Amino acid sequence: MAPAGVASGLRPGAWRFWALLPLLLLVGVVALFASTGNSLLDLVGRAPPAVDRFDIRRVEFVPGEIRIRVTNPQRPKLTIAAVTVDDAVVPFELDGPAELGRLRSSTIVVPFQWVEDDPYTVGVTSSSGIQTSFDVPAAVEARGASPKGFLGYALIGLLVGVVPVALGLGWLPSLRNAGSRWIAAFMALTAGLLSFLALDALAEALDLQAGLPSGFQGPGLILLGVAASYLGLTFVAQRFSAAGGRERGAPLEGVALATLVAVGIGLHNLGEGLAIGSSIALGELALGTFLIVGFMVHNVTEGLGIAAPMADGARVGLARLAALAVVAGAPAIVGAWVGGFITSDVLGVLFFALAIGAALQVVVEVGRYVARRAPGGLRSGHVIGGYLAGIVVMYVTGLLVA
Amino acid sequence: MPKDRPTRRQLLTAAAAAGAGVPLAKLALGDSSHAATPPPHLHAAGMDMSAPTHAAMVGHETPAPGGPHHLDALLYPPAPLPHQPGRVREYTLAASDRRIEVAKGVFYSAWTYNGTAPGPVIRATEGDLLRVKFLNGGSHPHTIHFHGIHPTNMDGVFEIVEPGDSFTYEFPARPYGMQLYHCHSTPLKKHIAKGLYGAFIIDPPKPRPAAQELVMVLSGFDTDGDGENNFYGVNGPAFYYAKYPIRVRRSQTVRIYLANLTEFDPINSFHLHGDFFRYYPTGSSDHFEYTDTVMLCQGQRGIIEIDFANTGRFMFHAHQSEFTELGWMGFFEVED
Repeated sequence: MAPAGVASGLRPGAWRFWALLPLLLLVGVVALFASTGNSLLDLVGRAPPAVDRFDIRRVEFVPGEIRIRVTNPQRPKLTIAAVTVDDAVVPFELDGPAELGRLRSSTIVVPFQWVEDDPYTVGVTSSSGIQTSFDVPAAVEARGASPKGFLGYALIGLLVGVVPVALGLGWLPSLRNAGSRWIAAFMALTAGLLSFLALDALAEALDLQAGLPSGFQGPGLILLGVAASYLGLTFVAQRFSAAGGRERGAPLEGVALATLVAVGIGLHNLGEGLAIGSSIALGELALGTFLIVGFMVHNVTEGLGIAAPMADGARVGLARLAALAVVAGAPAIVGAWVGGFITSDVLGVLFFALAIGAALQVVVEVGRYVARRAPGGLRSGHVIGGYLAGIVVMYVTGLLVA
Repeated sequence: MPKDRPTRRQLLTAAAAAGAGVPLAKLALGDSSHAATPPPHLHAAGMDMSAPTHAAMVGHETPAPGGPHHLDALLYPPAPLPHQPGRVREYTLAASDRRIEVAKGVFYSAWTYNGTAPGPVIRATEGDLLRVKFLNGGSHPHTIHFHGIHPTNMDGVFEIVEPGDSFTYEFPARPYGMQLYHCHSTPLKKHIAKGLYGAFIIDPPKPRPAAQELVMVLSGFDTDGDGENNFYGVNGPAFYYAKYPIRVRRSQTVRIYLANLTEFDPINSFHLHGDFFRYYPTGSSDHFEYTDTVMLCQGQRGIIEIDFANTGRFMFHAHQSEFTELGWMGFFEVED
């Protein structure tokens, strides 16, 4: 072998040393810098004092008690010293430490006879005297994790997730009678509505991450979720394709494509269920019949999206259809449970990010299918019209839940 | 900022040595001379404190900083001296920046006279020549502005004392009554809110009847700098006298020298439970009102005299409920 480059002089195995060397040097430089204390930084100015504000994650009202979940969003430690409710100092107990390290949380339990539906302002004061306030527009009793609540969230998830998707799949027989141009139009419609869902999930994710402490690095978390789900589904699609005995790189079709669409929609419904669940738990969402109906109408179109890829393939059994409905709809139940009982904005951001990546991947997969199979390809009027129709359908039915 | 400025500790030590009439050593070193007497247990008062409830800001469970007797130097004024015109009364006040605990676990970067907010009680008899040596050990220019009758060059408005400098205020103490003092450097609001104020009692030539004398300076602390007080208290920390009720005897009149130095809020008030009192506005005449509630704007003060009809635990607090629940409340433990 001809010696070349800097590695030319290395003995076998010496690469390990050279690979570690930059790390060792880094450790040395860091230690040297740390040993100077702040004297180097003092040359350019002084660090401002910490803001000492808490991040109040959740305020829950249970009979005779107010529970306040606080997190320390900053690097320096933060100590819970005093708690006020409506500008009155109140006795409290802590379910966790009073001194919080970075991103650590505690729950403050305040014995309090609160008034249903009244607004409250809760304040947490740090040992440095800085008060963080949290406004509750109306006190509503929080339901803990009870079998009843578990069932309730499951029913809501079922109603807004599984049922509409199953109903939408009912369009399959009529789709089978449609001509290939119309099938292409419906496939494009699927892509349109998934594009809408992707953007919708992106907006939700960006919105949620803005409220996270900077330590969680919301944008990075979103990118991680999007990349993981997009590449994960790409990998799965590849496997489906290989299992179907098709040529390498051929677009998916039929049940395989429908399954991929169902997975994408399922991930979106996971985030949607989480949003609904946490809104209900925090008393922010007036859970009316209208809203549930709205979500049902909105999500029926998702069933149509799953049905479209199967319109020109082999017959599909009822069991397979039911499984697709569960894949696409049941995550709404899981999401509602998580949102209702845990309410983690970090999980919320991650769920929505996963939904974005999945939806985008499915749009790409559907696009490849349409480009190859549809008469006239991606530029046909049916495809363009179908895609736009998908967005319009989501937009119009979205008005019901906005 | 002068480099040769003495440290806070040096100043306090010097002040302690120089102080003729101020129990400064006690203030600077903390009050450890008193045996800690535990407050009467709450069950004795018929209250079940096994679980904290909504209205539990009473007795031992109350979150208040400090231990018993920590505020005694501010609560109990020095004894009055008989009328003797021309007698010199000397005090030494040293300003210092200090982090003080204004509510349980909450620390505030205060500006103090002799380490506490409010500062020490200054007392003289009408006709005494008052000589107050002021050392500015703080990081900002300060003064002492006394209420009362004195020459313009002793008013604490024009003679700004720079950090590290000192100034001696000298004037005859008059008129008799409950006066007060505070810093008059600008920005005025900041210098008062930070804690530079205190009680200044001038006794009448004809001594007042013997009584159990107390001083109460009302103030608030804006710990997060938003222009609103986060905590209120009497003689400093929030809820202190709720945790450590003030013990008084029913047999003798209780006389309270009351002053309001609350910044940001236009008024403060004093309300007594279960009894009435005589209120002498500014304490400068024999005129009084018989009431159980008085209202004071900032700088307003007076003398309260209570002859308790009953024994037991009686609450006193601001009759602004918000102030009450942010720390301005306490109890008298009236005993036979």
